[in-house]
Amino acid sequence: MTRSKVISGLKPVLFTLPAMVPFVLFWLAPLLYVLYLSFTEWDFMSPEKTFVGLQNYADLFSNPAFYKSLKVTVLFCAGSVLPIILLGLGLALLMNRKLKGSAIYQVLLFSPWVTPTVAVSIVWSWIYEPEVGLANTVLDVLGLERIGWLQDPKWALAGVLLVTIWKSVGWAMIFYLVALRNVPSDLLEAGDLDGASAVQKFFRITLPLISPTTLFLFVVQLIQALQAYDQINVLTQGGPSGSTRTLLYLYYQSAFESFQIGEASSVAVVLVILCMLLSVFSFGVSKRTTHYQ
Amino acid sequence: MRILTRLGGPVRHLFFAALALLMAFPFYWMVTSALKTNDEIWRSPPTLWPEVPLWGNFAAAWNEAPFARYMGNSIFVATSIVILQIINSGMMAYALTHMKFRLKGLFAGVILFGYMVPATAVYLPGYLVLSELHLLNSYAGLILSNCVSIFAIFLIRQAFLQVSHELVEAGEVDGASHMRILWTVLVPVTRSSFAVLALITFIDQYNNYFWPMLITKNPDLQLVSAGLRSFFVEGGAYGLQWPLIMAASAFTIAPLLLVFLLAQKTIMQSVNMTAGSSKG
Repeated sequence: MTRSKVISGLKPVLFTLPAMVPFVLFWLAPLLYVLYLSFTEWDFMSPEKTFVGLQNYADLFSNPAFYKSLKVTVLFCAGSVLPIILLGLGLALLMNRKLKGSAIYQVLLFSPWVTPTVAVSIVWSWIYEPEVGLANTVLDVLGLERIGWLQDPKWALAGVLLVTIWKSVGWAMIFYLVALRNVPSDLLEAGDLDGASAVQKFFRITLPLISPTTLFLFVVQLIQALQAYDQINVLTQGGPSGSTRTLLYLYYQSAFESFQIGEASSVAVVLVILCMLLSVFSFGVSKRTTHYQ
Repeated sequence: MRILTRLGGPVRHLFFAALALLMAFPFYWMVTSALKTNDEIWRSPPTLWPEVPLWGNFAAAWNEAPFARYMGNSIFVATSIVILQIINSGMMAYALTHMKFRLKGLFAGVILFGYMVPATAVYLPGYLVLSELHLLNSYAGLILSNCVSIFAIFLIRQAFLQVSHELVEAGEVDGASHMRILWTVLVPVTRSSFAVLALITFIDQYNNYFWPMLITKNPDLQLVSAGLRSFFVEGGAYGLQWPLIMAASAFTIAPLLLVFLLAQKTIMQSVNMTAGSSKG
């Protein structure tokens, strides 16, 4: 090989290095490392990691706390993803027809999304204050019973979910607005000519055409829900009595509070596998059901 | 819902005005609570507007903890990460779209795989990797570990795919180097994607909490979210000085709301592009 050929062969490598080196160092290597750690017992301090095989997984799957946080995770995912998608779609449908000044509404509805989760969660923890907080004052005015928003295990998850939905619903709405504007109007007019009702047009024409957006929001929100940390950390720290402790939160408590690295790693591996299964599953679904233009 | 649409303009206006107010109300509540005395804030029922607005609460909160430093830290780190991400995702996307090489398929596959892995799930081993590299408690560690984003690569790749290959070939015929073609031909054509990338990354990084908090224990290096959180928890502030906590939250949030107001169009546009880049 001539010298110039070697150089031109190296060029793509040079172009990809700035991204690939940190990617390998901070994504791929940690991923393999966490898999290895999940087969060991280690407390962070001692120099040695003891290889224990599948023991951590066996412990995990026989631990009631694991199943409890699995349940919380499922509830958290369903309780955030579905309302965000449904409300986002509903609002976008309402806003889609010409409405003067809708830009202002869009900005106001979207604004929570750009703000730091930690800061807004602190504001919400004041709103949820049990004695004089706004949330309980509103319940008083409505003649309803006061709630221990973050203190009552029955309600704490709902309290955290409300903040999560509040933060993302405007964001989902904007995605749907863009998608709705891209629905070709001649298709809807053709529907009119065929005598289709508004409901039929929505389910037969609009909904299939915006399905890529739905799928995208579903996957992104699901992965976000699986990774939710900031609002849980500020509002409840997983409590009261584990009612808001998701798998991710369990992972961090066992890693950085009780220093059981092996056990924590096995939770992380389960979480990663869960995410990958969900992504592959939704890509599969998308191939079969969504319509790309 | 359909009934509302039928009733037309005024009703929809009323509905959206009420909803927008409701959504923005936590921000209003934050600011008005920040202006109250400790006595007034604990009064029930609460007052909608403070009797005597104490604007001095903002100064008091600002001086109570090094917020100027926290915000400066966040802006510095976020800006550095934005610059690095622009460089490496531009180069990576260029290689993936306009160069031919053997490992291309493998690289693209690995990156796609990374898309499915939740970043937070690998924070613990990531922490250990940083500690091996002696980069804990340093901005170098914080910036380097955030300098590559799979979303950014997808976004820019999508933009480059839409640029005709002839433009690149014309550059090659003229004898321009790949670097030159990338930065003087492709980037200017796709600048709106880069603007979106810069804004979204800046907002994300300014808001970042979990990972920076894990790896920077030194209070001088803390970013604004972690700083605000420690102000909230420590210093007897927990529940005792709500007006000051609300004031501190307000000036943490304010710069972002300002950026958002100034760059709304670009941010809203990002939605279009994010959705586009997800289609691959």
